[in-house]
Amino acid sequence: MILGIVGAGQAACTLILELIRGNFRGQVLIFNGEAIPPYQRPPLSKDWLQNPSRDRLNLLPKIIEQDSRITWISRTVTSIDPGRGTIRTRDTAHTVDHIILATGTRAKKLEIPGLSAQQNVSLRTLNDAENLRLNLAQASTINIVGAGFLAFELAASLSKFGITVRILAKGPRALPQVGLDTAEYLSSRSDALIMTETRLIKFDRKAQSLLSNQGPISCDLVITAIGSEPNIELAEASGLATTSGIPVDVNMQTNHPRVSAIGEVAEYHHTLIGKKLRIESIAQANETACILATHLLEQQSVRHKIPWFWSNQGSEKLQIAGFSERSDDSFLLMDKPHQRVVLRHKDGRVTAVEAINAAREYMAARRLFESNEKSISLNTVQQAGSIFSLLQSSSS
Amino acid sequence: MLYVTFIDPSENEIEANFEPGDSLLQAAVHAGVDGILAECGGGCSCATCHVILSSAWAGTLEPPGPQEADMLTFAVDPTPQSRLACQVQLKTEHNGLTLNVAKRQY
Repeated sequence: MILGIVGAGQAACTLILELIRGNFRGQVLIFNGEAIPPYQRPPLSKDWLQNPSRDRLNLLPKIIEQDSRITWISRTVTSIDPGRGTIRTRDTAHTVDHIILATGTRAKKLEIPGLSAQQNVSLRTLNDAENLRLNLAQASTINIVGAGFLAFELAASLSKFGITVRILAKGPRALPQVGLDTAEYLSSRSDALIMTETRLIKFDRKAQSLLSNQGPISCDLVITAIGSEPNIELAEASGLATTSGIPVDVNMQTNHPRVSAIGEVAEYHHTLIGKKLRIESIAQANETACILATHLLEQQSVRHKIPWFWSNQGSEKLQIAGFSERSDDSFLLMDKPHQRVVLRHKDGRVTAVEAINAAREYMAARRLFESNEKSISLNTVQQAGSIFSLLQSSSS
Repeated sequence: MLYVTFIDPSENEIEANFEPGDSLLQAAVHAGVDGILAECGGGCSCATCHVILSSAWAGTLEPPGPQEADMLTFAVDPTPQSRLACQVQLKTEHNGLTLNVAKRQY
């Protein structure tokens, strides 16, 4: 089975980890639109700003990142075709058995008349965070538009740089995700000045101020932190059902059997909460990834395996990997004292390996049969001289 | 009654009774030890009854034969103390010893 994962964030990486832990026997293509290996996002608004090391953000252990079952494709996916199992980038096309959309969310933008893109930043990616850090040197006053968790985390981090921070809430209160008591407590603990009921009109460049219903609010930089929106355009364009996210069933499958969705784009009926939800959290990213991994691994385990047999005959141990017809040809691959390996073959493909007192050859054949969905070429084994050495060269 | 103690992948300890001459696999199957698949049924042909012996077993067993050694190279993360349970013949002197079932069989 070949999986194609679109996206390389938390959910995608957890899926990979779980598949490898579960001894997934297929191949995974993972499309990473960012130019850097997968990283953790949560630290970016917190201690990372003080201690901006990329290494500390690594999401996957190197041993997983470099696993031979995984192929990293550093390209942005431009379209998918669920019917054909095709994933396209600007200049490549890939056919897979199953597509997994782990496209995540992006920061909502807010156009403020008069404010240049350089002065109106958001924080979602490592690139955003590095850009924000570069801007901090020239900033003494920052207005954060939005009053959710991200705004509060950023305010706490930015205050450590000696920057004056204001949090501008459109509504009557900050932190609407939590109860009023909690919000009031956290607001009282924040270093930021919190302004509610604030409507922005435009940015006055000369005065370097945001003009609002509460008068001008000066600042060097505006950070927009007004929430995120799901990246569902690929799904939409491919004809998949979409809502405020990508609806999926209990196994994270979309309305097309060849496509699943996980992470923050996935909207599903949560059995404990009792309604359809699209949750943005690291726990949800991990949970949906684990659900899908279990499902994919179960599918794998019910998939038929290549047959194998053994027979102890006195001091001779016969072990057979594969299944041959009586009419299949034979090729004596190994003939040592007490050890024989015969390849049964038909039409240039190995149908079975008959090993006598040659367990390594037999096990290597089983592994090769399991990993080569189209069976093993006779010619390749003959050239390698041994199935074990062929396995070693194909897995290195 | 003679017994050995299996520690399964979830760290449960299971006492498994045996008669001298039983294989470790037979003792495990009778005691219902989790985590031993033994897909080939005890024929040294699948490497899914991988166990790891404690140091107390040292010197009580012949080393793995060439077949078992070859099969062990296909087990998940084999160690020098790794064995295939189907190939270990239990003796009276093994009474009371412990061993771990491999965390994963594949």
